[in-house]
Amino acid sequence: MTPRLAPGDRVQVVLTNPPGHRRTPFYIRGKQGVIERACGEFANPEELGHGFDGLPKKQLYRVRFRQKDLWANYRGGEYDTVDVDVYEHWLTPLPVLAGR
Amino acid sequence: MNEDHEHRHDHHHDHGQDNSGAHAPHPTQPDDVSLPGRYEVMILAMRDLLIEKGVVTADQIRRGFEVLDSWQPSRGAQIVARAWTDPSFKKRLLEDGNAAVADFGITMGETKLTVVENTDTVQNVIVCTLCSCYPRAVLGLPPDWYRSKSYRSRVVVEPRQVLKELGTDLPDDITIRVHDSLADLRYLVIPRRPDATEGWSEMRLASIVSRDCMIGVANPKVLANE
Amino acid sequence: MKSDDLKFTSAREPGRGYHDIGGLDYGTVDANVTEARPWEKLSVVLGNAIGRSGTKLICVDEVRRSREEMGEQLYNELGYFERGIEATRRLLVEKGIIEESELEERMAQIAAQIAENGR
Repeated sequence: MTPRLAPGDRVQVVLTNPPGHRRTPFYIRGKQGVIERACGEFANPEELGHGFDGLPKKQLYRVRFRQKDLWANYRGGEYDTVDVDVYEHWLTPLPVLAGR
Repeated sequence: MNEDHEHRHDHHHDHGQDNSGAHAPHPTQPDDVSLPGRYEVMILAMRDLLIEKGVVTADQIRRGFEVLDSWQPSRGAQIVARAWTDPSFKKRLLEDGNAAVADFGITMGETKLTVVENTDTVQNVIVCTLCSCYPRAVLGLPPDWYRSKSYRSRVVVEPRQVLKELGTDLPDDITIRVHDSLADLRYLVIPRRPDATEGWSEMRLASIVSRDCMIGVANPKVLANE
Repeated sequence: MKSDDLKFTSAREPGRGYHDIGGLDYGTVDANVTEARPWEKLSVVLGNAIGRSGTKLICVDEVRRSREEMGEQLYNELGYFERGIEATRRLLVEKGIIEESELEERMAQIAAQIAENGR
């Protein structure tokens, strides 16, 4: 299935702290980033962790976050980033910025 | 001190019945006379029970040790050396890591080898903040510090300081790109090839690519007398 | 919400699993490297043998989930390989593959044997 999100798309990570097995870390929840690439489809680990088959597969994305957007007092480089592997259902597409 | 210390408990019980079931030899270190901790004893018991219950065989375990022993950072170093010398291999490696390392007889199993390249402006650093996922097939078992809570917690928020604690001082104008590998991708860093290695064979190149270089916390060094 | 009511959560921030530590500060990184001991390697081998690349009795996601349920205290007390073994133990008991009592019994026997005969 064609990924719904494309490299360069701006996204926001869903802000929620659900119980159960999750692979979206606390530090990116609610944060904004950019799709770096689609990584393919995989069975959902949140379901696999509890003994289900994790199907249908979900698209995995590599999402790039600017460090300065993640941490209030980031002291490193202006362009430093963290790339995180995030599943599609944790990502909300954001409107395209004017002028793009 | 590495906070991943091991609990040591004394286990002195009265002798119970003899364990006369199928008893495969335990993996031993002949000179290790320390008392086993609870978890050493637990994994031995778990293995014996699972063999007795027919869940696994002793032969599977034996072969599993051989596979584990084949997982070495020298494999990753070979891959890097080839990427440095063969542009078409590097292209394949960056596009489909699993297919490219099959050239070396390496299988990644269910995971997807994802290769990232350092440049003169970007340093890639790998972590798994949630547990310690690591490309074991090409790098072996992860080092203590990679598995530590210190590294897992801090490298995403202060990578430059963490690299310094691991012995690497990066220039201020280098962009650091941390990769938190939390799914089925396993990351390998191609470090920058030092200029002084012009004309070197693949084998010689591989010898300067340490495991730490392929995690991204160090860069290859050419010693003055090489 | 008291943090000890929910075993999976950490005491620091409600809703943050105790394993979910990216961005926190667990202190200086110790660069010292040790070789994995034979029993630690066995834990990796056994995990592989019953996992997705072996008999498929369990999967790595379940082991991770189990690790996230053992409670913050145990998680912080145990070393890396110990956590993996503890998580696997809980999972195998949960799935009815081994019984807690038979495991403890076998552990006692093995510990006694090692105490008497060495490894």
